[in-house]
Amino acid sequence: MQKSNLLHQVQCRSQIFCIRFNAEVKSFCIRFIGKGDFMHALFKDKKTIFLLVFPGLLVFLYAVFLPIVLSGYFGMTEWSGIGKPVFIGLENFKNLIFNDSTFITSLRNSLVLGLALICIQHPLCLGAAIMIDKIGGKLEKVFRAIFFIPCVISVIVTSKMWVQIYDSQYGLLNKILDMFHLGFLKQEWLANPKLVLGSLFVIIMWQGFGWGMLIYYAGIKGISEDVYEAAQIDGAGAAQVFKSITFPLLKPVIKINITLAMISAFKQMEVIYLTTNGGPGNASQFIANYLYIKAFNSYQYGYGNAISILFVIVCIFVTIILNKIIKKDVIEY
Amino acid sequence: MKKFKKIGINKKKLDLIKIILIVVAVIFSIGQLFPLVWLVDFSLNKTGDLFGANILKWPNPPQFQNYKTAWVDGKIFLYLINSVIVNVASVGLTILLSVMMSYAFVRMEWKLNKAVYGFVLLGLMIPIHATLLPNFLSFKAIGIDDSYLALILPYVAFSMPMAIFILAGFMESVPKSIEEAAVIDGCGILRIVFTIIFPIVKPAIVTVLILTFLSTWNEFIMAATYISSDAFRTLPFAVYNFAGQYASNYAVQFAVMTLVALPSLIIYIILNEQITKGVTAGALKG
Repeated sequence: MQKSNLLHQVQCRSQIFCIRFNAEVKSFCIRFIGKGDFMHALFKDKKTIFLLVFPGLLVFLYAVFLPIVLSGYFGMTEWSGIGKPVFIGLENFKNLIFNDSTFITSLRNSLVLGLALICIQHPLCLGAAIMIDKIGGKLEKVFRAIFFIPCVISVIVTSKMWVQIYDSQYGLLNKILDMFHLGFLKQEWLANPKLVLGSLFVIIMWQGFGWGMLIYYAGIKGISEDVYEAAQIDGAGAAQVFKSITFPLLKPVIKINITLAMISAFKQMEVIYLTTNGGPGNASQFIANYLYIKAFNSYQYGYGNAISILFVIVCIFVTIILNKIIKKDVIEY
Repeated sequence: MKKFKKIGINKKKLDLIKIILIVVAVIFSIGQLFPLVWLVDFSLNKTGDLFGANILKWPNPPQFQNYKTAWVDGKIFLYLINSVIVNVASVGLTILLSVMMSYAFVRMEWKLNKAVYGFVLLGLMIPIHATLLPNFLSFKAIGIDDSYLALILPYVAFSMPMAIFILAGFMESVPKSIEEAAVIDGCGILRIVFTIIFPIVKPAIVTVLILTFLSTWNEFIMAATYISSDAFRTLPFAVYNFAGQYASNYAVQFAVMTLVALPSLIIYIILNEQITKGVTAGALKG
């Protein structure tokens, strides 16, 4: 009993001594080497840096970087998933760019979707954001919450729900048209190659509406009240306030949103996959969905990987171009 | 006197504008909510009722057995547990690894600092869909396909660039003096990160948590690609599963969809304020 007690005391003392000694050494270092240098040494410690960076970097390298490298290799092969991949050089890429009309259709669809989001969805988002800001009070929060609800629901639920809404037999949309005696407008919304893109865009806009609105809303909240008050005192009308205050001050936010819209249009897949799967024919095909079909339905692994690589290049290209445009304008302000 | 009157007129006019705005907002709200109301309504009716002329039908009596079938045959409970496991692990790991890496990028001095930071941020531009096929192959090759890990790894990897971007931005605004004091008191870097930095960057962590949760909870395409056995499937899959099995039983399908949508909806209603803040903070940074 006593012995262990003694041992404990000794341990405590030695610990205290160690801490003191450590502090002593440090203060010595700081005094003689200088505070900056000591910190410098500590923040330069290779082992610590390795411990901090390595685990995260490993996960990133394995799940994001390695697949791109693998795609680069498999993209230059012909492979059905069984047996050995046959190396064919840049053949796949050549075929994709020059002979594959579906790939070009997919790119065009993405571009059209991006433009539709920017020209139709975003003005609505901006309008709604201004609207609920003007309404104010408790209702403001209620509307804000309601607009965002579709964004928190899984895309599989909303997509499958819209498939039912568009159904030609029992779908909600055709029933509503009947209700207003507009039965002649009834359509097979997802089966008509001329309408399918529009129908899909409605789903995508409906689901993404709240997200875009919320970003504009945050931008509007960032504009100082004083500016508006000053304008009111000067007797500016609502249209004038929008034109010369809200819109210019929101420009950075609008640009962020437009970039996000264009990128999301190129990355669009889930809604397509869960509704038309690119059909009818390839009328509503998008790059990501096309690569999925090639890989997992037709087992053209080599070709699918080549699409992956071009897909990454397109996405990086679009982001860089949009960023360039934005950066230029931000400097102007 | 005159001034007063003018303000009075202005106020009346303002009220009228406000009423118009509210009416328009209500129309928008109906547009956003009515499809969901329709879904829930017919999940409580019989399948046959869907073919009637009415766009809504008061469920009389409500067909709760639709939900019972959905819950049992849709394996909602199993999938829900899987979703929770995958999400807690993904969000937790994302935050832990991102805080550590961000600290190294912001505070530590090393040669490749900027290069590695830029490299990780490049991940923001890479579409997940481009990695589906190669990851499917590489997961299979090392035998982690069809496991929780097959979801957690890519979820963490794809959440990290955004998380690091937000966290590093926040850390840069934290004054260095606290850490310097801690160093003089004999605190090591790792202890600084875990006991001092974590509490300080909490607001940024909440943003990361919300953004990561929203994207991984509803994620579907990776789950559909990497997972092939029921034991590891996540919640969104219940809907997919059901569409084939109960192809003509629409009411039960609607009930499954409602059940799948419910957890995130409940969380949104409870944490509305934080989620709104998180999304806007994340978006404006990104």
